Amino acid sequence: MSDGVGVGPVGVEMAAGMEASAGGAVVGLSQDETTKRTLGIGFWISITWITVIVLAAALAPWLPLKDPDSNFIAAGERPPYSPNGTHWFGTDQDARDLFSRTIWGARISLTVGFVAIACGMVFGGLLGMIAGYFRGWWDRVISFVFVVFLSFPALVLAILITALLERSLRTISITLGILSIAPVGRVARATTISFADREFVLAARTLGASHRRIMIKELLPNVLIPMGALALLGMAVAVVAEGGLAFLGLSVEKGSTWGKMILTGAGSRDLQKAPWIAFAPIIVLFLTVLSLNFAGDRLRSYFDVRETAL
Amino acid sequence: MRYWLQRLGAALALLLAVSMLTFGAMNLLGDPLFNILGPAASDTSTEEGRQIIADAKAEYNLDEPLPVRYVKWGSAFVTGDFGVQFSVDGQPPVADLIKERLPRTLMLLIMAQLIAVTLAIPWALWSASRADSVVDKMSTATTFLFIALPNFALAVLIKYVLSIKFEIFPLIFNAADPFWTRVWQMVMPALTLGLPAAAVYQRLLRTDLITTLQEDFILTARAKGVSRRNVLFKHALRPSLFSFITIFGITTGALIGGALVVEQVFIIPGLGSAIVEAILREDFPVVLAIVMLVTAAFVVINVIVDLVYSLIDPRVRAS
Repeated sequence: MSDGVGVGPVGVEMAAGMEASAGGAVVGLSQDETTKRTLGIGFWISITWITVIVLAAALAPWLPLKDPDSNFIAAGERPPYSPNGTHWFGTDQDARDLFSRTIWGARISLTVGFVAIACGMVFGGLLGMIAGYFRGWWDRVISFVFVVFLSFPALVLAILITALLERSLRTISITLGILSIAPVGRVARATTISFADREFVLAARTLGASHRRIMIKELLPNVLIPMGALALLGMAVAVVAEGGLAFLGLSVEKGSTWGKMILTGAGSRDLQKAPWIAFAPIIVLFLTVLSLNFAGDRLRSYFDVRETAL
Repeated sequence: MRYWLQRLGAALALLLAVSMLTFGAMNLLGDPLFNILGPAASDTSTEEGRQIIADAKAEYNLDEPLPVRYVKWGSAFVTGDFGVQFSVDGQPPVADLIKERLPRTLMLLIMAQLIAVTLAIPWALWSASRADSVVDKMSTATTFLFIALPNFALAVLIKYVLSIKFEIFPLIFNAADPFWTRVWQMVMPALTLGLPAAAVYQRLLRTDLITTLQEDFILTARAKGVSRRNVLFKHALRPSLFSFITIFGITTGALIGGALVVEQVFIIPGLGSAIVEAILREDFPVVLAIVMLVTAAFVVINVIVDLVYSLIDPRVRAS
């Protein structure tokens, strides 16, 4: 049941996906299949986890957490300490509490992810809609810019910018934001194109609506649905990208992030003696990324959006 | 023919745009002089110091305006002269550095793709032939896990399981070892890149196979008495390979990015670590050379994908 499609609808879905995305496909489905389309329990579990981790991150200063930067050295024993009653996730080599650091790390990791995808949504969405609505030269220029950005590994550009500028939370977030413009823009463009010639747009135009009005009132609400699903996926990508940068020594300099925490425990000696240093943040990061991916994926198939349309 | 000329034009425009972007970003944001001269770069107190700085600027064309520098670099670059490194002695030349590093990254990428493809095809055939059964759903869930697991986390996990818990693979990559030893040392990094790629391929192939298996010609073949196994391998696989080839191209691009991080985790002196070191040192010629190489590879892979596509699907050729 995980895919929500039986034997028959696969072909229907494919055909519908080719012709139009989003709303177009719903028309083709019979009553029976429409009722089968639910988000499923997995979606709600994912959303719950995301909510918990976001709340914990947002409220970290007010939660009864241990100070993430204090060294809790116990008499007679050398750190790192394995997980126990006082330190739920154990401590790192400097006897800092990993549970508290993971929550505090979520603040930076999630901020990076959120700001990055918000940037991508606003600018990518705008450029993609302009390209998809006006077509012609607008489309050619904007699409070419998208192709340029998509044609070399995003991480290379990220390293380039973060290495040359200072590594503050702002720089990292904006860098990853710039990188998410092209992928988001492409989807916005494809979705806009699939709606731009529909009857309701034509009707609005016949009634004398301006381009701006058509784009905001008619197209934007339709483009937003697939973009919402993409936002969750994009946030997962940005959170992972921060981790990748951390492994190259290029993440946010101040404070702990999930990527930096994993790196702290990733050395062979530490993995051997104190695997929890790396695995505590890995598990939290993994669950978060998995939830974002899963929720995004479910939303996407729920609204039946096809990136490949066009 | 016209189509391929257009493709060529677009590819050249793309390479030009990427080189300008990289060149511009580095020259506007960075200052390589310090790496060439060391502390002397900021010593403007004496006449001698100023002279050294002026000489160095002249030698590396840093005193000229940006467009002139770009043209000078570009015209040398296309003839295969990648310049010297921006370091105190400037040795080895960039071309030599790349010649030394490239084979290791290539080996990593090839091994990763080999692992991915050899895993994905049988896996997809296996799951598509039992579509929607419990094992199929479990395998789909597994692919989801692999795709969601970030490559650096998977690297740590693989290192922990295969090298520390069960001491199967060595932790250290040694470029001086004989070929097969290096292949053995490269298995863990290749697995790190290959497993998620395998999951991506498996998902796509499985969906395609399930669609193909519902086509009439499959039914005809079955009705004529072709065995299930032969239908799967001989009739269903080929038409399902089209989108696989596209995704293969896209994934190769993604793997190049992933190789940066994986090389760092497993300490492999390949192109990935070369570009990271070069960016940190603001060693512009090295960065540019590697970025251009990667972009060119990307473009070439896409053209090859198109070519193969038109070879295996006559309909594409006709249009």
